[in-house]
Amino acid sequence: MNMQDAMAKPVRHSRMAMWRRQHAWCLRDSLRQLARRPLGTALTIAVMGSALALPLAFYLLLVNVQHLATALGDSQSVSVFLKQNVDARGANELAGTLRARSDVGAVTVRTPQQGLGELAAMQGFGDAIRSLPENPLPFALLVEPRAGTDRVQVAAMVRAVRAMPGVDLVQDNGQWRARLDALVALGRRVTLLLAVLLGTAAVLVIGNTVRLDIRSRADEIAVQQLIGASAAFVRRPYLYEGAWYGLAAGIVAVLLVLLLEAVLAVPVRDLVASYAGRLHFGGLPWVTLVIALAVAVALGWCGAWIASSRYLARLGNSG
Amino acid sequence: MIRFDSVSKRYPEGREALIDISFAVAAGEMLFVTGHSGAGKTTLLKLIALIERPSHGTLEVHGRSLARMKHREIPRLRRDLGMVFQDHRLLMDRSVADNVALPLVIAGVPHEERGQRVRGALEKVGLVGRGKDAPSSLSTGEQQRVGIARAIVARPALIIADEPTGNLDPQLSEEIMQLFVKLRETGCTILIASHDLPLLKRMKQRVLVLDHGHLIDDVPASQVA
Repeated sequence: MNMQDAMAKPVRHSRMAMWRRQHAWCLRDSLRQLARRPLGTALTIAVMGSALALPLAFYLLLVNVQHLATALGDSQSVSVFLKQNVDARGANELAGTLRARSDVGAVTVRTPQQGLGELAAMQGFGDAIRSLPENPLPFALLVEPRAGTDRVQVAAMVRAVRAMPGVDLVQDNGQWRARLDALVALGRRVTLLLAVLLGTAAVLVIGNTVRLDIRSRADEIAVQQLIGASAAFVRRPYLYEGAWYGLAAGIVAVLLVLLLEAVLAVPVRDLVASYAGRLHFGGLPWVTLVIALAVAVALGWCGAWIASSRYLARLGNSG
Repeated sequence: MIRFDSVSKRYPEGREALIDISFAVAAGEMLFVTGHSGAGKTTLLKLIALIERPSHGTLEVHGRSLARMKHREIPRLRRDLGMVFQDHRLLMDRSVADNVALPLVIAGVPHEERGQRVRGALEKVGLVGRGKDAPSSLSTGEQQRVGIARAIVARPALIIADEPTGNLDPQLSEEIMQLFVKLRETGCTILIASHDLPLLKRMKQRVLVLDHGHLIDDVPASQVA
């Protein structure tokens, strides 16, 4: 096709092909605009990335507190320590009595030997315990409340068990676990609140950056509209710009959290070692990191959409 | 191609820019709109591109009534128009070729075809080889040629130009007008607003004369002297 032919043919193409090519151009244009002001772009990404890293870091902390809670035991169990003079027969009789209660699900009898073995293995006091002349531990019963039993019913059951003959000490493991669960729930709420607040801040930061960019390119937008650009076409490069900001900031946030994990790895490994490996420190799963990236892109897009829509609405060209 | 039937335009502040204007332009015709400053020339062009809507009357372009055209249909109308501005309205941070290609980008034309059409348009306005230059490196006349190349690159059936020679010296004005004459020979309908009476007389085309918003004369090409 020579130049005259090219000029002679009217411009008509399928809508889908048009749409695809317009998007490709807008995508390239958005990158070009970001590259034109590297310092401003980098600062915006750094601010937004730091803002997004904070809730991710809190989430990392929360995940590991949950790991800790899981490692430290089941929620509702009640440990019943019997008097020293209670023998195996007495312990089994008491266990039978407890199993007959409607609020008890299961009872496990732990012999003094089992208790001593577990203690030696768990706490790393093996040598000290082996040096004892005799086993100082009594028989113990591990009582699991029946499924569906609430805290008030468990507390009533604990009071009843304390009053039983042969019972020396009753330890309600559920109490501290309930406190820990409440703390984790509070932490989850704080993390969510923080994520919403900082997410909103990220939307505002990007919205403002895109707004300033739109204002600096007002003449270009006017020319585009005069020669037939739709509002969607005008808006598109800014939406891509917002999405790029979001993606880059998301990557920064993820890198910061990975850095945090790396920095904490050594002290946490020492802490874990002191608990003989019962505790586990884990990083955020990759699915969470991918979701964080997707959310960051969505926030950037959202900020750009708000800014560009407001501008176009003022021009009377939204839609 | 264009039909004004008792068209009036009153701006919100109450100024009557056009009053009861009626005329028609046939396809392939070239004509000028002239008059003193504030006579309504620019408003008339703005109505054709739907930058402003008429307050009263019927206005048709390409057989489509513009008075009730929906907002989302306006970009399509403008894509079928070529617009040339007195101040060129070029994007100074883009190359000449990028400026000329903009209507094709908006129309979603493939990259290879875009390049061919841009080269073709630049050839028509005598700027072959200047595609990679920045507009700021061109003279005023050359910048106006880029504006014209941008207006013709998507091969519109109708070109409207608002004082396209307003900032140019007589020789450059003549060159730009000859470009429009060449375009007309390809079948384009061309409507140019200009207050340069000597130039209009030399061009010997139909002239609409506006005065304070009224169409006071419609001079056929044969009677322009």
